[in-house]
Formats: sequence, structure tokens, C-alpha cells
Amino acid sequence: MQLKTLTRAISVAALLGATALTTSAAAQEPKTITGGFDVGPGGFQGNFNPLAATGGFTWLNVYFEPLVNYNADLTAIEGALANEYAVNADKTEYTFKLANETWHDGKPFTSKDVKFTVDLAKNGETGTVFAARLNAVSSVEMPDERTAVIKLSRPDAGLLATLTKLMILPEHALSGMTPKELATGTWWATKPIGTGPFKFKQYVSDQYVELVADDDYRLGRPKADRVINRYFKNTAAAVAALRAGEIQFTYVESDDVAAFKDNKGFKVIEGQSFVANYLGFNQQVPLWKDVRVRQAVMHAIDRQAIIDSLYGGAATEANCGYVAKQLVPEGLNPYKYDPAKAKALLTEAGWDKINGSKPITWLTYYNTPQAANVMAAVQAMLAQVGINVVPRVVDTPTYNGIIYAGNPDFSQFPLVYAGLQNGPDPSGLNIGLNAVQKPPAGANFLRIDMPDLTKAFDAALAETNPQQLNARYQDVCKAMNANLPWATMWVANRYGVASAKLKDFVWVPAPAGGPYNAHPEKWSIEK
Amino acid sequence: MLPYILRRLATGLLMLVALSILVFVLLRLAPGDPIDAYVNPNVAMSQAEMAALRARLGFDQPLPVQYLAWLRAAATGDLGFSIQRNGVRVLPLVLERIGPTVLLMAAGLAIAIVLGIAAGILSAVRRNSPTDIGFSVVAFFGISSPAFLTAILGLYLFSVVLRWAPSGGMLTPGAPFSISDLLAHLVLPACLLSIGHAALIMRYMRASLLEVLNQDYVRTARAKGVKEFWVIMKHAVRNALLPVVTLIGSTIGIAVGGAIFIESVFNWPGMGLLLINAVDTRDYPVIMGATLIIGACVIVVNLLTDMAYAAVDPRIQVA
Repeated sequence: MQLKTLTRAISVAALLGATALTTSAAAQEPKTITGGFDVGPGGFQGNFNPLAATGGFTWLNVYFEPLVNYNADLTAIEGALANEYAVNADKTEYTFKLANETWHDGKPFTSKDVKFTVDLAKNGETGTVFAARLNAVSSVEMPDERTAVIKLSRPDAGLLATLTKLMILPEHALSGMTPKELATGTWWATKPIGTGPFKFKQYVSDQYVELVADDDYRLGRPKADRVINRYFKNTAAAVAALRAGEIQFTYVESDDVAAFKDNKGFKVIEGQSFVANYLGFNQQVPLWKDVRVRQAVMHAIDRQAIIDSLYGGAATEANCGYVAKQLVPEGLNPYKYDPAKAKALLTEAGWDKINGSKPITWLTYYNTPQAANVMAAVQAMLAQVGINVVPRVVDTPTYNGIIYAGNPDFSQFPLVYAGLQNGPDPSGLNIGLNAVQKPPAGANFLRIDMPDLTKAFDAALAETNPQQLNARYQDVCKAMNANLPWATMWVANRYGVASAKLKDFVWVPAPAGGPYNAHPEKWSIEK
Repeated sequence: MLPYILRRLATGLLMLVALSILVFVLLRLAPGDPIDAYVNPNVAMSQAEMAALRARLGFDQPLPVQYLAWLRAAATGDLGFSIQRNGVRVLPLVLERIGPTVLLMAAGLAIAIVLGIAAGILSAVRRNSPTDIGFSVVAFFGISSPAFLTAILGLYLFSVVLRWAPSGGMLTPGAPFSISDLLAHLVLPACLLSIGHAALIMRYMRASLLEVLNQDYVRTARAKGVKEFWVIMKHAVRNALLPVVTLIGSTIGIAVGGAIFIESVFNWPGMGLLLINAVDTRDYPVIMGATLIIGACVIVVNLLTDMAYAAVDPRIQVA
């Protein structure tokens, strides 16, 4: 009897002890949000240097901050490290009032840091990708510690959009390094300091990056204690980790969405990609000189059927490079699906003499199963009207190596299937379509030289009146619709999936990962 | 033995130089370079900007100049820095990846050797029995299943559906290091890596043992009344192991290939993942450095295999 009582007492004590230990452990366990923040087309795994970033801004923006940033709807630019900004009448002087913030090492953030960062970003020796985009900046002045003035040699409508991507860097930590040392330095991946809501803790090579909450963040201490960016070789591996409960967020391919849509444990986040997909006509080959041939391509492709069947309706048909309502004017040619009209246009243009049924290489870097299906459908539709395209799928470096070659072999890319960022800043299309942007000056690798279009872009870029800006880009849209430098297809939606445990989590499928004000300090996770 | 080893090492050095030239030329022949990999086609960059980035990295120099500069530095142990990894030096980067790859390959091979030899012995001893046929069928599946397929299926089944093992990585992100955590992450990729090798070893062991079991000395051992277990284990298996040892040594290179797939699917931070990422991003210095070190490892392992061969069979003289 005594033994039984003793056993019971020990059991109860053990149980209580275990419960207390568990409770205590749970209470002390840091709130950690783990995600695949650099998975998908907006990510840039392994790059820690904001000056060299061509993507991955969603993650960089968790511990660095720009002066100004897009809002989470990507509809307007608002303050970030600058509380407010003002622009002078002729758009050549931008005055930023800076937030009262400290760097992660406790040193104050001042206008010196702004000048230091802009100067670095303009210096090609640092490996910066901003030099050309900031070439209108003539100087940065510092009237006081809380004010920075960026002066331009000419108006630049795209300046604020560029500044959203320029993460401000600490002058006190980096001024001792030469620009070359900065370009190859390990500071970025070992001990970077920013002003964002989370502080860098460690990078475990090819595995993950760990950030911890910055207790002194000006907008309040972050609700989560840690944010971890786990690296994955591909989207499928990230989706597996999400389904296994190891991470709480990742970008997913549209094919994966169905698996999560009706699952209460997850939230599907859908948003516009801001990437216009197109069939690009290389103007250096004789195939596409006649606009009637380009019109025939548009009429031959049933874009809505492809959107409905292969994108599940999650794309918007494009009749120019834009689909945003404010940029698309009334009265555009809708290029309805009409194979008979396409055939008639080809006959009129003398397609039999131009090319006939000879195969035309159709180059792309899109290598997802969905893209393969889209290309197969388009190939079949074009074949129906007598245009014989043969897809050639390559990886991104190969694609860029072909189209940006010093002496390009134009026969390797008479037609491309590609995409170009068309927002939130609509000037993004200029580099690929304006005649002055032909290589080496720009990225107009199809050598498009259409005076109406160039004129429309030049007018839009020079427009200093915000009220007139949309009208100028509507003119660009009209010129694209009439001249058809590309057969514009659609702007597709992109997806992320987050665990239902995440609260106040903001993610937008912005091109190159944004950035945008995601307010990571508000993100939290239920236990 | 020493002159033989030195001779082999000297030959190996020449082979490494030849290998580096071959890889250098192949990389330059392949379309796209590190800057092409850097540019997101959806967010275009001008050709002039790309040219400036190339010049900063020295890619505007003639190819022989680029190669000789690399070779000169490599001879002093400097393999340059990674282009895509913010200036991380290649040598420490590659060296830190050898450990995880060796761990994965050693675990995979150990599992494969134990399972393959045991299954091979059982199959040979019970020739044409249901056990033999069963093992043979499994082995054929193992041999004919490509590593990337078994890796993806294994990941889906054991991590996503059954949740028996983590879906990737070598350690739980942000958690303090522990052996149990490491083993939990290791077991699934190692088992999947072992499948093909176990099947191959099993087939070789079976065939080799069947041949040995018909030898006179085995018959003599049986006639002398030695117990069947000892006849097989002491007389037959030891002699049958010779071709299997050779096979294990010569499949190290194949194991590296398998590990590349497994590491890529499981995000295991080894040489395979490093190389795949480097090839994807055309990170020339990392590809050159990693290839050189893998080449050196293969040369040394082959040498060690030959030496092990001599140790197992004293009749063989390597010198």
C-alpha cells in the first residue's frame, strides 16, 4: 500500500515537473518565422550586397532600408528611412527629411550615410548595378544631420523608383574600405549592419540566414524574435518543406496553388507579377519587318484560351506592355483570336516568300512545366496559320549570353519568349523598347527601332508633371499596340503560400522581390 | 612502395593541370558567363553596364592571360574568390564543403557496403531461392533508378507524407549544433544515396561468391568438416571480396555524381550543391577550384584503392 502511494506521488511529481519544464521551455522559446524568402523569380539567394542586387529585395529589406519605399499595394512611393520628401518645381532637387534611427551597432543614422551610399552606388568600382540608373544625380548635399538633398543634372522621373532599391549603408562601418574591397569583401555576409527591424546574426553557407529582432527599432520592437531565410535549390524543395511544416512561407509555382487553396492550415497570397510576357520579334532578321506578319502572330494566338486553361484564369491579357487600367487607353486594337484573319494577313504580306514553313527558332529562358505547356499551345496555334516555330529552352545565363553577345548571332534568336518588368514604375519597359536603348547603351536586344514608340517613351521619361504621366504612358501603350514591337501576351499572377499561423505577414510577388514596406516588425507567429 | 606513390602523385599533378585546362576551356565555350547569370531577364540591364562588371572581374582579358593568372595563383594555394558569393574565397569555401560531402558519401557507402555485401552473400548462398530472386529484383530496381528520381520520391514519401525525416539541410536552422540533429538530417539522404551502390555491390558480391564457392579449396574446407558458416565467411567471402573492393573504389567517382543530385534535392551543403549552384551561376572560380579538388581527391582515392587491394591480396605488388 505504501509502495503504491509512493509510486503515485512520484508519478504526479514527475508529471508536474515535466509540465513545468515544458511550459517554461515553451515560454522561453523564441518566436521564429522561417521562410523561403529568396525562392522564386524575385529571390537572389547568396547575394548580400545591396549595391549588386538585381533581386532579393524582399529579404534585404528586412534588415536594410531604403530612403523611400513602395507601399504594400505597389501603388505609391512612401517614406522609409526618410520620413518625408519634397521635390522642387523643375524636378531637379529632392529633399529628404530623415527618420531618427540608429544603426544596429547603436551609432546614429545621419545624412552622411545617405551621401556615402549614393556616392558608392554611382561608383562602378564597387560592382554596383545602380551606376547607370543614378547618372542624373550630380551631388548629394547635407544641410544638417537629418536632411539630405539629392541634386540632379536633369529631371529623372524614375529616380524615386530607383531609390526604393537603394539600401542605405553605414558610412562609419564601410568608409575604411576601398570600393574594390567593398565589391569583394565578406562584410556583407558576416557582419552587416542596417537600420531595419531585424539584425543580422549569421549566414550558414547555402543553408540559411538568421536575423534577430532589433529591440531599438524606431517603429517598435518586432513581434517575432527571429526571422530565418532558408535556402532551397528549387521551388519544389521549398514547397516540400512548407508542407512538412518546417517553414511558414514560400513562393510557389501556380501549379502548386491547388494543393494549398482549400487547406485551412495555409493562406494563398496572389498578386500581379508586374512582368509583361511577350513574343519578341528580332528586327535584325527579315521575318518580322512587315507589321502585317506581326499582326498575324497576334491574331493567331488564342491568348484568353491559354489564360483560362493554363493559367487557371490568373493572368490578364495584354494588348500593349501594360495592363494597369490607368496606363491603358481606350480604343486599342484587341487583336482577337482569328486564325482566318491571321492567314489572310500572312498571305497579304507574302509570308510564303518571307519564310513559308521553314522552322524559326523560338528562344526562351522560361523552363517551368507551365511555360512548356504555354509554348506548346502557342507553337500549335502558330502552326495552324503557317508559322513554324521551334522552341529552344535554355537557362538564364545561356539566354543572356546569346542575346547580349558582343557580336550577336541573330539567327539564334529570331523570336524570343520573355518578360520585362512593367511596373510599378512603368518606365521599366523603356530599356527594352526605346531605339536609344539598343546595345551597348541599353537592353533593346531585339534592336527595335520604331520612331513612334521611341518618341512616346522619350516624352514619358521627360514628363515632370505627375498628373500627365499616366497620359504619356498611355501614348506608349498606343504606340506599342499599333507598331507591335512585341506580340504582347499577358501579365500573369504569382503566388506565395503562408502558414495560417503567421499573423500580419505581408508578402507581395513584386518583380525582383520589390522592395515594398512589408513592415516585418509586425509579423508574428502563433505557437 | 614509396617510389610508386611518388610516381603516381607526379602523374596525378600533371593530370590536374590537364583537367584545369579542360575545365577552363569548356567553361569559356559554354554560353553565358557569371555576369549573364547575374542579370534577371525580367529586370534588364544594359550591355554597357554588363561590360563594366566584366572588366572589373578581368573577363575582358585574353583567355590565356586569364588562365595563366588563375594557374599562377592556384600554384600558391589561392583559388580566387567566388563571384556570386560576395567575395568568399574559393579554397576555404570548397574545403568547408568536403566534410559534409564526405560524411554523406561515407554514410551512404557504409550503408551500401553493409546491405550490399550481406544481401550478396545471402543471394549466393541461397542461389535461385525466393530470397535470391527477391534481392535480385530489388537490386535491378536499385541499379536502374536514377539518383534524382529516388531522391525526389524519397523526399516526398519520408519527409512530406510520413514526416519521418527533415526535408533538407544539414542542421535545423537557428538551432544549436547536436549530433542527434545532424543524424536526423543525414539518415534519409544517406539511405537514398546508398540504394544504387548497395544494389551494385550486391550483384558483384553474389557473382563473385558464386564463383568462389565452386573452387577446390572451398570443397576441401567442407571435406575437412569446417562448419558451413565458417567455410563461407572465412574461406569464400574473403576471396570473393577482392572484386567488390575494386568496385567500391572505382565507384567513388560515381558516388560523387549521385551525391550531387542528393545534395541538390536535400540542400545538403556539400561539394555537389556547391558545384551545381556554381554551374547555374557560371561562378568560374568556384567551378575551377571545386573541380581541381575533386580531381585531386579521386586521384588520391584511386591510389589508396590500389594500396588497399595490395593489403587484401598479398600476392599483388604495387611497386
